[in-house]
Amino acid sequence: MFAVAEVPPALAAAAAPTPAAAPVPAAAPVPAAAPVPAAAPVPTRRTRLWYAVVFPHLLVPPSTAAAGAPPPGLEVLCLHAQSFTSCVSIEPPNALLLEVKGSLRLFESLEHLHGLLDARWQSLGITTHSAIAPSTLAALWCARVGFSACIHEPTLLASRLASLPVACTVWDAERLRSLRSMGITRLGELLRLPRAGLARRLGVAAVRDLDIATGREAEPRRAFVARQRFRERMDFEAEIENVAYLERACEPVLGRCARFLRERQAGVQALQLRLRHRDGPATLVRLGLAGITGEQRRLADVLGERLARVELPAPVRALELVSGRLQPLSAASLDVFGACGRGAGPDTAQRLVERLRARLGESAVYGVAAIPDHRPEAAWRRVQELLLDPDGAPLANAAAAAVPWDPMPRPLWLFDMPVLLADAKSPQRQGWVLEHGPERIESGWWDGKGVARDYYCVREGHGGKLWIFQERRTKSWYLHGVFA
Amino acid sequence: MACFGAAKMWMPRESSSLADLLADARVWKLKDASAAPSRPVWSTGNSALDARLPGGGWPTASLVEVLIGATGLGEVQLFLPALVECQRKADVEIPWLVWIAPPYEPYAPALAQQGIDLARLLVVQPATATEALWAAEQALGSGVCAAVLLWLKGTDDRWLRRLKLAAEAGRALGVLFRPERHRFESSPASLRLALTSAQSGAQTAPQPRLELLKVQGGRPGFVDLAAP
Repeated sequence: MFAVAEVPPALAAAAAPTPAAAPVPAAAPVPAAAPVPAAAPVPTRRTRLWYAVVFPHLLVPPSTAAAGAPPPGLEVLCLHAQSFTSCVSIEPPNALLLEVKGSLRLFESLEHLHGLLDARWQSLGITTHSAIAPSTLAALWCARVGFSACIHEPTLLASRLASLPVACTVWDAERLRSLRSMGITRLGELLRLPRAGLARRLGVAAVRDLDIATGREAEPRRAFVARQRFRERMDFEAEIENVAYLERACEPVLGRCARFLRERQAGVQALQLRLRHRDGPATLVRLGLAGITGEQRRLADVLGERLARVELPAPVRALELVSGRLQPLSAASLDVFGACGRGAGPDTAQRLVERLRARLGESAVYGVAAIPDHRPEAAWRRVQELLLDPDGAPLANAAAAAVPWDPMPRPLWLFDMPVLLADAKSPQRQGWVLEHGPERIESGWWDGKGVARDYYCVREGHGGKLWIFQERRTKSWYLHGVFA
Repeated sequence: MACFGAAKMWMPRESSSLADLLADARVWKLKDASAAPSRPVWSTGNSALDARLPGGGWPTASLVEVLIGATGLGEVQLFLPALVECQRKADVEIPWLVWIAPPYEPYAPALAQQGIDLARLLVVQPATATEALWAAEQALGSGVCAAVLLWLKGTDDRWLRRLKLAAEAGRALGVLFRPERHRFESSPASLRLALTSAQSGAQTAPQPRLELLKVQGGRPGFVDLAAP
């Protein structure tokens, strides 16, 4: 029993979303012969302290209530609660449970923490009922009836809970009816009844609830884990036809997305924008970034360039922004003045490349790299993955230096395909002056793209410098490059 | 009345001497500008050309326009020594070189041979001239580029002015290559060169001719590149 109590709630096994749906199935009527565990002694050692808060006026949409999912508002409140403790558990439909024992050292005292928590709810303008108790259900039951108890000792639980009405347990209507018919209205009366009889009338689950509430049994809780993706939908008051307006309309959502990322110290490398129309399929706008970022300015820059190329088939009624997978942000890319808007911060190469790619397309922006190969056309390639990180530069330099360079002249512009010179005569006939050559390049017989050429560097009559070669087999002359 | 007032303000006072006139901040003196350039310059690697340019090299943070008679006259070669030098000098972060809309693929082995750091070279191939100009403006104004080379068939004065402003804001060298037919159009570039083919048959090894069309703080005229 102690072992269970010591399991950190965040790591603990699946806890019941409602007290009634405990590991022991409560829905099936329990036969009379079912063994009822004997009452365990109340542990004198203090284990945990739970702060329960109930939001009585929280609106629960019927759809989420039916699905048993926590309402979206509760998740937002959970994020607030997470600034006080790492273990926040959602209690549908309208309550939260916070483990506060672990936070006492940070917040000095329970009274101080309690005051801070209540002040937070007050600043949000929400009506709340809260209670603190060493067991989850005791705190919850006290909070539900508005009894703002602060119980420290587990041994005092039974006596402090005695005055609560049984309705605070939110058991199903049938159980409460049978309790009423027994003339039981208070928890104290219920706790005095023999366990075996109680289990027969109300089910083992109810007895277990009472055990949990009085601190005889621990109830592991699953901690709330914040969403790992940003998703928000925004409906416009009027339909938007102009892309420029759309960019402005995106700004608040993008700002919330950046805040969402900042709260999680994370960044994204991809974003998706879904533009919804009155009818017809939604327009999808995908954004790819060169690096992981959570900065609003960078996201807005890339989105602006991308949106400028979008052709809207119809006016836009709503938009939905969905972030890609969240990735941890490296400390170097954090910006102290990140919240200061578009004008802040210096531009970086990464941002420039992102902007160019967003407008011109991924393949229009590239680097070039040299490959040690004797064949001129095989000695270079395009590079799409650019070394945008300044730390990566020395490595690239070393790689480039390792390639042994031909001392022979190479033209700055190389044609994709060599151009056959018009008359297959010797270039000397055209008045060209030989500057360098011949340089014989004979290579590549192994991959079917073999070349056997004699290269010359010539200066033509107007002063231009050309790189020509004579195919050794056919003896015809080709122009292969220009020294620009 | 307003016109008259403005004219009166502009007119020097009757008792002013030449010294008073020169002391006026609105008077721009040619000699001073060439003696002490406010911007750093990059050596062109050619002493004859250095001597003709104010400050002794390519001006940074400005727009240079090169009018070329034909491709292959060594127009890029004019700038390569300066680009290599600026990449080598920067110790903390190597600045980027951006080549926008080059007429052919830049040949990586040739660049590496010259000493260009290929890891800091960006090639941009936009679909249209407007996109090329936009990309050039972005690159020039970003402040991470040392030089932006742009090849264009034609453009208007307004765009050139924007490029110049972006180059000044980003402290980058913008080099614009245009066909020679734009020689007689006005241009806001602080330096305009024309690289034209040599007269045929005059010499055994014809050299292209470089002409300075407009030099802020210098004198226009022909430059003999072959001179030591």
